[in-house]
Amino acid sequence: MKQIVKTITKKDFSTFVNTLIKDGSYDVVGVQAKGKCYVFDTLSSAEELRLNYDVTILPPKKYFLPQYEMLLKFSLQKPYEAKETITDSPRIIIGVHPYDIIALEQTDRHYFDQQQDNFYKKRRENTLIIGVDIQNVSERSFAASMNTNTTETGFDLLLTDIGTSYAVTIGSEKGEKLLKKYATVKDASSTDLTKIKTARNAVLKKYKQKMKIEKKDWSSLLVANYEHAIWEEHADVCMECSSCTMVCPTCFCYDVKEDVSLNLKQGNRTRTWDGCMLKDFTKVGSGEVFRDEVKERYRHRFFRKGNYLPARYGFIACVGCGRCGSACLPDIADPCNLINELAHFSSENDPGKYFIKEENEVLEKGIIHLPRSATIKNITHFNELDSLFEIELDDKKPLGHKPGQFVEISVFGYGEAPFGISTPPGNTPIFEIMVRQVGNVTKKLCSLQPGDKIGIRGPLGNGFDTKSFEGKTLLFTSGGTGMVPMRSIINHVLNPKERNKFKDIIILYGAKRPKEITFMDDVDRWKKIHDVQCELTVDRCEPSECWGGCTGLITTLFPKIQADKLDSKNTISIVIGPPVMYKFVIKCLQTLGIPDDNIYVSLERRMKCGVAKCGHCQINGVYVCKEGPVFNYAQLKQLPEAF
Amino acid sequence: MKQKPRVAVFDFADCEGCELEIADLEEEVLDLLEIADVVSFREVMKEHSDDYDIAIVEGSIMRPMDEKRLRSIRNHAKILVALGACATMGGVNKIRNQWMPDEVIKEVYGDTNLKGNELFDVFQTKALNEVVPVDYYVHGCPIDRDEFKSVITAIALGKKPDIPRYPVCVECKKNENICQFELGSFCLGPITRAGCKAICPTHNSPCEGCRGLIKKAETDCVKEVLERYKLSYEDIRRRCTMYNYGRKECSYDE
Ligand SMILES: Cc1cc2nc3c(=O)[nH]c(=O)nc-3n(C[C@H](O)[C@H](O)[C@H](O)COP(=O)(O)OP(=O)(O)OC[C@H]3O[C@@H](n4cnc5c(N)ncnc54)[C@H](O)[C@@H]3O)c2cc1C
Ligand code: SF4
Ligand code: SF4
Ligand code: SF4
Ligand code: SF4
Ligand code: SF4
Ligand code: FES
Repeated sequence: MKQIVKTITKKDFSTFVNTLIKDGSYDVVGVQAKGKCYVFDTLSSAEELRLNYDVTILPPKKYFLPQYEMLLKFSLQKPYEAKETITDSPRIIIGVHPYDIIALEQTDRHYFDQQQDNFYKKRRENTLIIGVDIQNVSERSFAASMNTNTTETGFDLLLTDIGTSYAVTIGSEKGEKLLKKYATVKDASSTDLTKIKTARNAVLKKYKQKMKIEKKDWSSLLVANYEHAIWEEHADVCMECSSCTMVCPTCFCYDVKEDVSLNLKQGNRTRTWDGCMLKDFTKVGSGEVFRDEVKERYRHRFFRKGNYLPARYGFIACVGCGRCGSACLPDIADPCNLINELAHFSSENDPGKYFIKEENEVLEKGIIHLPRSATIKNITHFNELDSLFEIELDDKKPLGHKPGQFVEISVFGYGEAPFGISTPPGNTPIFEIMVRQVGNVTKKLCSLQPGDKIGIRGPLGNGFDTKSFEGKTLLFTSGGTGMVPMRSIINHVLNPKERNKFKDIIILYGAKRPKEITFMDDVDRWKKIHDVQCELTVDRCEPSECWGGCTGLITTLFPKIQADKLDSKNTISIVIGPPVMYKFVIKCLQTLGIPDDNIYVSLERRMKCGVAKCGHCQINGVYVCKEGPVFNYAQLKQLPEAF
Repeated sequence: MKQKPRVAVFDFADCEGCELEIADLEEEVLDLLEIADVVSFREVMKEHSDDYDIAIVEGSIMRPMDEKRLRSIRNHAKILVALGACATMGGVNKIRNQWMPDEVIKEVYGDTNLKGNELFDVFQTKALNEVVPVDYYVHGCPIDRDEFKSVITAIALGKKPDIPRYPVCVECKKNENICQFELGSFCLGPITRAGCKAICPTHNSPCEGCRGLIKKAETDCVKEVLERYKLSYEDIRRRCTMYNYGRKECSYDE
């Protein structure tokens, strides 16, 4: 596309900026000095602008994903009241460098993907970007090696210093209108256009940091060296401070917090920057940390930039700004240095695949923070820890879920947590979940009463595609709370309308103790069905507990499978249980001759957003909340972080 | 309506700065009074009652008589909250643990004979949790008011408060500060628990570690950073003495 270029004298540009400030229609933000560094901040006069800066401490992402951003306001007095709170006004940001513009385009790709983040969208729509070509290069920047030192898109206007004037490249209609309304410009001559090129080229020699390999080769180099000692060597001196992710224009993970006013009358839900270098990023209620070792977190950050996001979106998620390199006290965060160091090693190894691509249908587009209100109809306490909730959506619309999907449940003042849906699909607004008490949300849920209101987002995740199981024998193996989503699919396939689509059904179910067996009514019913084999076991049982059944781990149930039922190639096996269970059960299944392709599992990870935005649930390059929680084992086993 | 919980505020060896932070909540104090009855708070009222549910305790334990009083508070209270660095970890009061109590008394009071005077019968400074179990912690010297409020609302709602386990650098970066190391100074931010909104580096002074260390100063990463910035281990050790003398890294549920 041929772009229109104008010129504006530096004096007229100052007038333009001052007019914008005076006009008051926009919050006019620009690059300013802060000590010997630079920051983006609201301008009070054009004088403050420092368009020849090298790099700002934080990228402009703070205007689109603020450090702290209120998502919802809720009442703790009314039975149910919650509102999304978007407060943003028109803004112009002056002086954004090309690499930061490209980083914003990358963030768009993520935040507009499938379920759009309407907060981010609103802020993007509200903002005009006046970019500026780089004149000075920071010590650590390697933007030239990343081809992010210049850009043709992503700005409304782009300035290039050509001496006594700026060349102004028009990037959008909005930009053009702004110029028309507020500035005095001339058409650029061909000499001016040459000057732009000269100015850009002149900067190239200022880069001290250079990549030894091309950026398209990052991915294979990283993959070949997934197990390299370098991760551990560097991680040994990592402070786990996540400064590297905080300052990065392409890091956009967030955490969600619940604040309550001191009088306990209302509260709000806020999101704030989170970072995958922090240990708690993957910590779940049970205490487990999925990326426990610093090495794993350190590696994750580079893989996300160089392999996971490239596989997903087609771009390297590092724009070479060099901010992480200067922010990291032990100086191990700089991708340029790391890749150059790795470049000495081979990239010939078998390039594994750490990403599963699967587009599933999107149920709600746009609304991703505001839950719908629902009412607790009934609560059954199975034991001291586990309770079954019957819930009805207040809008009386069917939940419309597939077996294996989950919902995010809000208890205002306490937070939000994901729960598997344990009822089969149906044309009804009523569904059930089972809650095990571990932390704030789960404990509070269990103290609620029928009639109390909660918030629901979802159904979320992919769920099981039962159509693809038709004509097959189904072998269900579940341990502990894995029975929650399992009950949904079992009761679905046992539904008379569905039953004849499948062959025999075998159900294996293990719990730690007799009292931890949930859904006993269902189990009794399944046992009575003639073409269903249902076997139960408990790990352990005290003499005082009345238990007539088997004891032993879930694997002891496999020999009980009636061999005649099992045509292994035509059997689909579904396994859901605690992390420790998978390895052993999958071994049993393989012994039975069931191909990996026929094995499906459902995984649990820390979750916040449930819509592939916040980053918490990642297993390598996969978002469990979106591409999962149901996975085909043959695909999943390629992911080293899966089990 | 459910009866409001009764709250009492106590102090031991400290500067009372943390209590002042509460007293300074201004109109929000009224919100606090909507959800709790304050029955004892020497800083702001004369009345005193021994009938309370929640004890908010400031200050460190220095003497057998303090220990006795704290035990009795613990017995009265259903919930005990440690307020401020003096209470949560001993804080500045632990600086003197570098010496034996006799030496300290001698240094301060010379040869005055204080034997038998209960007030001067001191042992090595202890944090509250070295004497009795503590249910909730409000860290910092002084405390952060917002964090105090969030701990109070957490108690009122019966949930676990959300206290950061990540270092001050996270909040410091969010505030877009120039790093103290860049300015030629050095800072305990990378090894100190966040939650204060990185107030010190934001006001251009280095973090002193008043919210407790989440990483030991003796780790490889600290050594590496000291080396890179040409600092000696002695520098950081001295800095840690201010609030963290004799302390290990914080445990997970502090
Ligand atoms: C897909 C999926 C399905 C689940 N199904 C069920 C179920 O049917 N029944 C059940 O009892 N539990 C289920 N869990 C686990 C449940 O979500 C956690 O126990 C719950 O989030 C703990 O929240 P909390 O506030 O009580 O605990 P806290 O420890 O206070 O957790 C704080 C926050 O961290 C996150 N978090 C903590 N633990 C987990 C976790 N295990 N998984 C995801 N996020 C977590 C949540 O956002 C939570 O609000 C499921 C988890 C996932 C990912
Ligand atoms: S990884 Fe580092 S160099 Fe790359 S974009 Fe992020 S902060 Fe900049
Ligand atoms: S790599 Fe550096 S900046 Fe990132 S967490 Fe480790 S020490 Fe901090
Ligand atoms: S923690 Fe600090 S501010 Fe609070 S009482 Fe102790 S010395 Fe004073
Ligand atoms: S000033 Fe201190 S807290 Fe801030 S980033 Fe630097 S080391 Fe961390
Ligand atoms: S920056 Fe450090 S010293 Fe200052 S309040 Fe925070 S933890 Fe305490
Ligand atoms: S990305 Fe937020 S929970 Fe999956």
